[in-house]
Amino acid sequence: MNLLKRLAPLTRNQSPFGLILLIAMALFPFLSDNIFYLEVIKLAAIYAIFTMSWDVLTGYTHEVNFGFAFFIGGAGYLSGIVTSHLSVSPYLAIPVAALAAGVSGIFIGYLTLRLKGPYFAMATLAFASILFKLSFILYGITGGEEGISGLEAFTDDPTKDFFVVWGVMVAVYLSLCLYARSKHGIILKAIRADEDATQSAGINTAYYKIEAFAISGFMAGIGGGVFAHSQMHIGPTMLSGYLSVIVVLLAMIGGMGTIVGPLLGAICLSIVNESLRIVEEYRIIIYTGLLILFIYLAPDGLVNLKFIKGSKVLSFIFLGDRKST
Amino acid sequence: MEILIIGTVRGALYSLIAVGFVLIFSVGGILNLAHGTYYMLGAYLTYIFYTFVFGAGGIDLLLISVVFSVLSVGMIACLVYYILLRPHIQSLLYVMVMTLALALFVGEIMSLLFGVSGTSVPSLIEGSMSIGGINVINQQLILIPITAVILPALWVFLKKTKMGQGVDAVAQQRTGAILVGVSVETATLITSALSASLAALAGALIAPVSSVVPEMWLFPLIKAFAIAILGGIGSLVGSIIASFVVGYAEILGSFLISEQLTELVALVVIILVLVFKPSGIMGYKLR
Amino acid sequence: MSLLEISNLTKTFGGLRALERISLTVKSGEILGIIGPNGAGKTTLFNCITGFLPFDSGSVLFDGHNIQGKKPYQIVNLGLTRTWQLLKPFFGMRVMEAMMVPSFSKRARSSRLSKEEEKENIAGILQDMGLTKHLWLEVDNLSQGELKLLDILRAFVTRPKILLLDEPFSGLSHQEIEKISRVIRKLNNQGLTVVIIEHRLRELMKLVQKVVVINFGNKIAEGTPEQVVREPKVIEAYLGKRGR
Repeated sequence: MNLLKRLAPLTRNQSPFGLILLIAMALFPFLSDNIFYLEVIKLAAIYAIFTMSWDVLTGYTHEVNFGFAFFIGGAGYLSGIVTSHLSVSPYLAIPVAALAAGVSGIFIGYLTLRLKGPYFAMATLAFASILFKLSFILYGITGGEEGISGLEAFTDDPTKDFFVVWGVMVAVYLSLCLYARSKHGIILKAIRADEDATQSAGINTAYYKIEAFAISGFMAGIGGGVFAHSQMHIGPTMLSGYLSVIVVLLAMIGGMGTIVGPLLGAICLSIVNESLRIVEEYRIIIYTGLLILFIYLAPDGLVNLKFIKGSKVLSFIFLGDRKST
Repeated sequence: MEILIIGTVRGALYSLIAVGFVLIFSVGGILNLAHGTYYMLGAYLTYIFYTFVFGAGGIDLLLISVVFSVLSVGMIACLVYYILLRPHIQSLLYVMVMTLALALFVGEIMSLLFGVSGTSVPSLIEGSMSIGGINVINQQLILIPITAVILPALWVFLKKTKMGQGVDAVAQQRTGAILVGVSVETATLITSALSASLAALAGALIAPVSSVVPEMWLFPLIKAFAIAILGGIGSLVGSIIASFVVGYAEILGSFLISEQLTELVALVVIILVLVFKPSGIMGYKLR
Repeated sequence: MSLLEISNLTKTFGGLRALERISLTVKSGEILGIIGPNGAGKTTLFNCITGFLPFDSGSVLFDGHNIQGKKPYQIVNLGLTRTWQLLKPFFGMRVMEAMMVPSFSKRARSSRLSKEEEKENIAGILQDMGLTKHLWLEVDNLSQGELKLLDILRAFVTRPKILLLDEPFSGLSHQEIEKISRVIRKLNNQGLTVVIIEHRLRELMKLVQKVVVINFGNKIAEGTPEQVVREPKVIEAYLGKRGR
């Protein structure tokens, strides 16, 4: 069955590089005793959850979500408030908060259906800003500028905490990969290329766009909740435009539309950020400057570089692309 | 009465900023998230020229500093367009992210050079005036006549001069303009300079009476964006009207309800406009 | 038995009457050609009956369903598929992926048996067209003609009852036109109804059984290819009054 051999099932195209990266992260605690570095990698993992969730929507539809902090901070706060006021375990609160984020994703997705380009970006920004403002206005529940501190951690041990976070990140990575390589991902890419043609193929494009929004929001919510409980604090910075922008930058530099790319982007750049602490005074400037340079040289992202995509070997290693012929 | 005057001042300020923002988008398709940065640079560069180059001389040197500052920002904008934006200008995402990254970058540089607390810039016109029983700061007042001169001048430029007509043509009907032989690149270059200079002028003028801090690029950008959407991203007149509407509404809002709530209401209004009438009050639909 | 009934369809853009009380019927199993000078309103007609453009008055009945107000994808799932005049390739995707998109539609899903069989089916179609070597290539790498073929082939995957082709021959070589015509004839023999807008009259007339002529939004002639070509109004529409 020559034909069958050519039709490699799309759901099994895992990126070897991605898997190696995940395993490398898991091995880190066994190779180093440094708690500080462990925290850095843990934070990098959380950012990876953010960037991968963002990629699911923007990477595959090319409508730029500039207010991603909405889902991250929103779920983070929700989880924080629920656990501190209602004494619920984070293991329950986080999924619930993420669910709320997912539902709001449906809501926002529906409202922004007909918006394109800068209008879409502005709308997402506006939603995030509203939540940001609310966190100050409702300072009774949200703690205003201070945020909420003393949130319950997952475990009593930083290393165990790290593995909880790592586990969640792997789960998010695998499920998003599955989603992206499934018919949902293919349809999103088609919508990105030409929405009219996709409608002409009998696809309810509105449904899939909203679905992507919801999933993106849900995963980001998981990330937000995990962040709140791993740092044991949630504050307005998790709703800020700055966070939204960083997520966009990290995901873009990694490579949009691949899920692996944002994983890479988040991990690498978080490590770079930390290693720049030796020049603390200029750290942010150098970091931002580097980000600009990266975007200028590789606007599609590192994983999408022409020389990687063009080479069969490299595109298999990074993207898991098995091109027959 | 106070509302009227301050609202007009605000509207004038916003219109200088918003018009540039809308213009560069219509002409170059560039959603310039560094627009607020040009505004900020207008303020900071005036300070730099005045203090370091001219040794804090007299009012006339201050005026020259303002002029230099505006011109420098115009040139910076040209460089940004030519070197950073042109190679990948078709991608809206790239332009947005690149300009935003630049905004963050420059903000950090200012923070490093001048610290987080405000820098003070002397006023062009000291003192205040009494109009109808209300005390109004002169420096704020001059925005009104300056804007009243600049905006019509801009209109004359766009409609009557050859260069301006080329720019106008690209803004309205890009393909047509190309067919007639207008160089889109040149038009975009000119517009980048123009747009940034307007923002810088606004920043330079308002600097003496406003806080000059490294974060001062964010809010003007958001306001310009919001005004562009309300007034219609393709329409200059619409954005001018919207600037004043927003100016008055803000003042009214902060009188009647708290400032925070006003901003919240503004955001909700923006979303409502986007969802129900994406072309804004007077604008054209996105190409 | 008429599959598609268009009655008094009118569409106005501002002051312009794009379609003026157009009525036409398509019988099941027919191959109908729609011709007319540029700007006559042919594509507008397609856009109206496929849900991409709302129309002002009149009615469109497809297979007994009133399709007014329905969304394009819903109409496709009823069995009416169209192609586009301007290429609409799925850039950024592989050929195989692009071909699979229509197979995700409700209609295709309800008729096929398994994902593997569908993929084989698609691969088979591509093989017929000589595009197998392109299976895993990115769409961006194909030539104009190949992209055109891909657009048309994608339409087949939705298992339509009636297929509307908007200028399928434009940009294709003679061999390619022959290939497509053969496939259309074969599918028509299997029961597919086809409506084709075309400018390449010679190739079109070989394929169709009936022709409708539209000019300035009005139907000015209807009949067999031979009848229509001799109609004075038709000659006038294409060649002007002197053409007579």
